[in-house]
Amino acid sequence: MISILGRTAILVALAACMVGAVAGLYGGARRSADAARWARAMAWTFFGATLVGVGLMEFALLTHDFSVHYVAEVGSRSSPTWITVVSLWSSLSGSILFWAFILGAYAAAQAWYTRKRYPEHSSYAMGMTLVVGVFFSFLVAGDANPFTPVSPVPLDGPGPNPLLQNHMLMVVHPPMLYLGYVGMTVPFAMGAAALLAGRITPAWSRALRNAMLVPWGFLTLGIILGGWWSYDVLGWGGYWAWDPVENASFLPWLTSTAFLHSAMLMERKDQLKGWTLTLLMGSFLLTILGTFMTRSGVFNSVHSFTQSPIGPIFLTFLALVLTFSVLLLAARIDKLSPPRDGLNGPASRDTAIMAQNLLFAAFTFTVLLGTTWPLINEAISGEKISVGGPYFNKWGVPLSFMLVFLMGVGPALPWGRASLDAVVKRFLVPLGIAVLVVAGCAAMGWTKPWPLAVFGVSAFAAVITLQEMAAPGLARWRKKGGNLATALVQASLRTRRRQAGYVVHLGVVLVAIGVAGSSGWRNVEQLTLRPGETGKAGRYSLTYVEHRTDKDSHRSSELARIHVATDDADLGFLEPRMNTYPRMGSPLPAPAVRSVPGEDLYLSIVKIDTKTGLLSFQAVIQPLVWWIWFGGLVMALGAALAAWPSRRRSTARLAHAKPDTAGVAASVKAST
Amino acid sequence: MNWRIVAVGAVIIVPFVAVLASGFGKDPREVPSVLEGHPAPDFALETAEGGQVISLKDLRGHPVVLNFYASWCVPCAQEHPWLVKISKIYQPRGVTFLGVIYNDEVPKVKGFLRRYGQNYPTLQDPSSATAIDYGVAGVPETYIIDGQGQIVRKFVGPVSPEEFESTLEALL
Repeated sequence: MISILGRTAILVALAACMVGAVAGLYGGARRSADAARWARAMAWTFFGATLVGVGLMEFALLTHDFSVHYVAEVGSRSSPTWITVVSLWSSLSGSILFWAFILGAYAAAQAWYTRKRYPEHSSYAMGMTLVVGVFFSFLVAGDANPFTPVSPVPLDGPGPNPLLQNHMLMVVHPPMLYLGYVGMTVPFAMGAAALLAGRITPAWSRALRNAMLVPWGFLTLGIILGGWWSYDVLGWGGYWAWDPVENASFLPWLTSTAFLHSAMLMERKDQLKGWTLTLLMGSFLLTILGTFMTRSGVFNSVHSFTQSPIGPIFLTFLALVLTFSVLLLAARIDKLSPPRDGLNGPASRDTAIMAQNLLFAAFTFTVLLGTTWPLINEAISGEKISVGGPYFNKWGVPLSFMLVFLMGVGPALPWGRASLDAVVKRFLVPLGIAVLVVAGCAAMGWTKPWPLAVFGVSAFAAVITLQEMAAPGLARWRKKGGNLATALVQASLRTRRRQAGYVVHLGVVLVAIGVAGSSGWRNVEQLTLRPGETGKAGRYSLTYVEHRTDKDSHRSSELARIHVATDDADLGFLEPRMNTYPRMGSPLPAPAVRSVPGEDLYLSIVKIDTKTGLLSFQAVIQPLVWWIWFGGLVMALGAALAAWPSRRRSTARLAHAKPDTAGVAASVKAST
Repeated sequence: MNWRIVAVGAVIIVPFVAVLASGFGKDPREVPSVLEGHPAPDFALETAEGGQVISLKDLRGHPVVLNFYASWCVPCAQEHPWLVKISKIYQPRGVTFLGVIYNDEVPKVKGFLRRYGQNYPTLQDPSSATAIDYGVAGVPETYIIDGQGQIVRKFVGPVSPEEFESTLEALL
């Protein structure tokens, strides 16, 4: 029954996308407000149908309806309820259904947000989003259909992949990434709409940038949470391994970050339009590439779903979107108006943004090359190789360093042109503080060159960012007097978009410090203890108190109770575990972490002998790991602040309606 | 139309898509087994029914097909009926087929065999010692061993029927 209902819902979604795509594109080409309305209605239908689909699947999972293919694949009567709920995205076909649902939600949000605005572009954009919707609903309806009935009906299922059952973060990490990935569809569709219309207005540029901020924030959060999950689950004490799928999420992050900056030049000065739109389309293409990497079985990664038939379909889609994007850019780029105010001084914010964009492009190329190199090499020479961390670190560390430096320099430079004298003066204080920080760290015995350099450049960027954040408030306070705090808050509220950008920058600084500290002074100790014995790891005394076994419905765990103390403090107990899941042969470690801003102590069991209690474990001591998670949170918060819709923006509608032709203005009236 | 962009695009797209497409059908985890061309590690394992111990040494002189599998493994269930069928063809011609249980319980495996067919013995490998000797990374994995006890071919994941048959034909 659910199979039939689910299938019907998906077919409705597919039909809605098809009709809506045609209506939207027609509405854009003919400037038809009626067609645009149809496209929006179809977007809502698409959302409704996928919502029903996801609801049915959750119902089937929760009621253990093993007649549904996907439930038979990942369900299990012994799984706790929260695992059953998140099983929706634990395997291929369910995750594609979830994907279609998120796309439906974004399409509906887009329909709602553009319903009374941007008549020139919104219909095209709606149509393009639904074209992507056609592809995903086609996948769910066809090759990745999770609703296929199963006969004979099994009595129980194996449960989802144990790695995913092992941690609560599994509830949030994939949805955040999906929200990031799928959300890139909307700015892509809007960029394509600009090209299809052959015109890009400042209001549309601004809408584009806002549309990108939402998925960008989710993607950032998804990546950081992924690092956190890998740190807390995989038991090796690291958070980033340059695994193909990690890279797959990092690539669109790089291009979309570059886009968010070059879009400012596009919005302000009408410059870099071709480049900015290329970044935009590239970001979407890289999310499709990322999905392909995870689901095609072509790349070797911890994340890969098993070999699946949808690889070739995804590749075809990727090739089609690539070709479409290139042809669209080629056909329309010369139609967009030429840049205005082409003069950018060497020491200007414009130049800093261009340099930053070049660095991001170089970073993207480096990561893309390293990730695909095993495939390229095998295609050419037939040899199997793998590209590991050293390559990525060799290029990634200096590139990141320069990017943090530019992040400091850029905001302090004026738009257009600046006198070199003023620039030098502007940088004296932050440079001085950076030198002090480096000297201070060196005096405390932290002398590794790269981490030290990163601390210095982070201090430099942080000081400038804080100065820039305070500047409007200080100016207001000097002029009007009164309470300094009130002046700061009020001025910040007025310049919210800019302040939000600086919040993101501060987040980046925190992450940079965390990464430099934790990778620079990582200390790993191997210990083997009998119950009652005490071992030393760095400044910690670790006493192995006892071991015990916990049995759960879906797993059994071996726990080691370890007492942690330093010379002057009792830090309580840590209990690392080894979890054994029936579906997976070898047990999975679940490390125990004591995380404080200064330093993490990370205990992970290597082997535990249940009879004698002999315990082998790893103690990983890393400073500043906590800063990475906190910085990621700050970045996401900044993105949320920036993307939050403002009242004032609705005036943009009126402002941009003026230069439009009378016909369009009439259609605005007709549609409102 | 800006032909420069089209040209640059084509130069990027065509090789890129071709490289990605070249990865299909290959398993990125499959690194050539160091064991191929080397003597197969010996084993003496009890059958799932119990009572009988089969050792590789005793099978010298005939090719052996060794299939590591588990009841919880979906691809194993998919390839098993085919293995049963093909064993009916090759066993009379002197090939010994053996299954080895990988990280599973005997009663579950018996259920699996009732469902997907049985034509050759399945061996218990309770501590996974044999799986470790052979470097099994996941199931199914299948080894073809010649009459001199050398590993001739290793399949990661379900065997490819053509290669499987041609390898056996070459040994007979």
